[in-house]
Amino acid sequence: MIASPRLRIPTFGLSGGTLPVALGLLVIAFWVIAAATVQFWPLDPPLDMVARRLQPPSAEHWLGTDALGRDVLSRTLHGARFSIPIAVLVVVAAALIGSLLGALSGFFGGILGAAVMRLVDVTLAFPPILLAMAVAASLGPGLENAAIAMVVVWWPLYARLMRAQVLEVREREHVEAAVAAGAGPFRTLFVHVLPLCWTPVMVNATMDFGQVVLLAASLSFIGLGATPPTPEWGAMISDGARSFYHWWIAFGPGLAIFVVVLGFNFVGDGLRDLLDPRTD
Amino acid sequence: METSNRAPATGTRRSRLLAAVAATALAAPLALPSAAQAQDDTIVIARDMDLNSLDPSRAWCDTCQIYLTAAYDQLVRVGPDNKSLVPRLAASWEVSEDGLSYTFRLDPAATFSDGSPVEAKDVKFSLERLKNLKAGASFMVEGISSIETPDAKTVVVKLSAPDPEFLGKVSSPYGAIMNADVVSEHGGSAAADADSADQAEGWLLENSAGSGAFVLESYRPDDELRLAANPNYWREAPDAATIVMRESQDAVAQMQMLQSGGADIAMQVDPDTAEIAAAQGVTTELVPSYNFLYVALSPGAAGLEVPLSPKVREAIGLAIDYEGVLEFTTGGAADLIAAPVPNGFPGTDDLPMPKQDVEKARALLEEEGVGGGFSMVAAYPEMNIYGVDLTTMMQKIQQDLTKVNIELDLQPVTFAVWRDRVGGEHIPMTAVFFAPDYYGSGQYANYFSMVPGSPWYARAGGEEAEGLLNTRSQELMEQVRTAAPEEAPALYREMALEMIRDRVIIPLVNPKLVLAYRDNVEGVRYAVCCNLPLEELSKN
Repeated sequence: MIASPRLRIPTFGLSGGTLPVALGLLVIAFWVIAAATVQFWPLDPPLDMVARRLQPPSAEHWLGTDALGRDVLSRTLHGARFSIPIAVLVVVAAALIGSLLGALSGFFGGILGAAVMRLVDVTLAFPPILLAMAVAASLGPGLENAAIAMVVVWWPLYARLMRAQVLEVREREHVEAAVAAGAGPFRTLFVHVLPLCWTPVMVNATMDFGQVVLLAASLSFIGLGATPPTPEWGAMISDGARSFYHWWIAFGPGLAIFVVVLGFNFVGDGLRDLLDPRTD
Repeated sequence: METSNRAPATGTRRSRLLAAVAATALAAPLALPSAAQAQDDTIVIARDMDLNSLDPSRAWCDTCQIYLTAAYDQLVRVGPDNKSLVPRLAASWEVSEDGLSYTFRLDPAATFSDGSPVEAKDVKFSLERLKNLKAGASFMVEGISSIETPDAKTVVVKLSAPDPEFLGKVSSPYGAIMNADVVSEHGGSAAADADSADQAEGWLLENSAGSGAFVLESYRPDDELRLAANPNYWREAPDAATIVMRESQDAVAQMQMLQSGGADIAMQVDPDTAEIAAAQGVTTELVPSYNFLYVALSPGAAGLEVPLSPKVREAIGLAIDYEGVLEFTTGGAADLIAAPVPNGFPGTDDLPMPKQDVEKARALLEEEGVGGGFSMVAAYPEMNIYGVDLTTMMQKIQQDLTKVNIELDLQPVTFAVWRDRVGGEHIPMTAVFFAPDYYGSGQYANYFSMVPGSPWYARAGGEEAEGLLNTRSQELMEQVRTAAPEEAPALYREMALEMIRDRVIIPLVNPKLVLAYRDNVEGVRYAVCCNLPLEELSKN
């Protein structure tokens, strides 16, 4: 049998499954480093106005300049200082709050458990963007408030996930053994149950980083997140939408969001393959 | 006026989501030649309509000005030179020696769209209704003490005090003369209790009752306003049989409608978009306008970190790079403006233009003991008006003020929130805009001077803060009432200088207006009375 000709993509020794993960990690590493060190990069200050406004990309301004003559590349890279920490903060806060409430609800059940789960149901009944908009609008514009709004929207997902895990794990024999040996309820929960429940939360959290970056940008785009002149990606795209024909203003931050979300999704997928026993 | 019942959504981010959806939806109908394109006698205008009402006595907006000069006539109008008054319904008029009595003789040919003649009782009804409805434009006719109608074609208007700008005020679009019989029949009232008794607004949203070149065919809010040529028009008939004003929220969408032929005229294209989106078959012109944008300081605002004393206000004014603001907001398609009175209005010749002087600003702040810097809230309506994006403008001001260690906390808000805040707790620094309602400088003195009763005296916190009252402005405003017409410009000039000295209103940008239309359209011009005089439009 003659093998059909196949296009061979160099994989540098990585298999089809690990290549996206490596790419994703590379992208994330770049943006995390950027977020931490961009102040020291040899870039135009992101708020400095120059007379050359609305310049298309050139050797001097790789991604052009916006309506106030600010370098779009510099602003895009500085945007990482806002988007990446916010994503981490929101996901960690939502995962902690959600997991804790979910675990308590699943382990103890009863009125507390039912109350938490009904609150979860109510919160999840709202479209996430609408609820985030409502919370952010009532708190007033600002990135801090947008972050609070996103935590409010996000925690129920983790609560539900964690509760399902805890419900399953608490029935296992080692837990019964621990209880029989005299472990108190909190010791049982935190020492014998929770360590076995973290995997799906981790995978979910990795996938959610990208989604939070996206939602934060959306809130800023509609004016409920970053206030001017913060170089936040969503706010920058909003500026770009105002000067629609000057495409480069929205291109830089748009590309940044796309790359970051894709990177987190790749890593999240890889992590799931690695940790989830149900996948091959 | 600055009042916009609904913030024109051009610049608001919240509306952009909707605009994006609308743009997608628009793409489909634009692919087909629309009905408008096929008909040569229909002119389609793309505009972000800020209509608050179609009732001449209740309306108060830029789009209202266009409608009220198309469907209605006024006693007099501002002529094509944008300055002098020309006869309209009044063929001639006389002013008494003491300036208290105006006698108008109506044109015998004038008829309403239902064919009935325009008579003195209609003028009396319309002006009294405007006054008694106590709506946005009622201040224009506040000075009227009585209106007499000696015969069907003569109206005598008596004022309680002389007002050299009275003719200017009745020339404004809100001086529209309505068919008294028809409006009364549909619930209209001009009596003293009209603000509660009048029920005609609903009917006037579906019908017009004027003598203008067009009649209202239909109005669907947030969609379109459709006008048809008045079959009984008493002057030269307009060229267009139908004029459709179609809601289109932002400059880009308007420009795309123009390029595709979906619209013949686009009214709110900004200079940057006009420049980059130039297309075959589309003419864009930049013309001077009387509109301007300004920032205002409120010494009476709540929560000030540092009192906005005269020296601090002067320092803020000196820290601003005025030429730079023009460049950043419009790419240079604008002029500087000295005082809150449009360039070219009476008393504005050779006013000293503002200049940046950072050293002097620093010295002034040092003198006041705040050289180390302070921060201040700057809340403003988030919108794009006359081609200028307020967020862009305020970011430039923010940048300029950092040079004198003043940190601005920019807070873009919706127009409704802005109006509440500026009237309530007052806003330390804000930015807003103004367009004239008629040709005359008095409206500016009344609006911006630091005298009791002026809107900005209240907004700046004149009641709460010490030393804002300007008694010289008060004297001048009193003097101009009885001054000979040739002396008025000198008095207005002095009033403008006082307003500069108040340092509450800092005018920034007098933007040029972009007229964008398809090559086969004629008669597009900027008019002080009405933005765009629809009866002059034609298409071949």
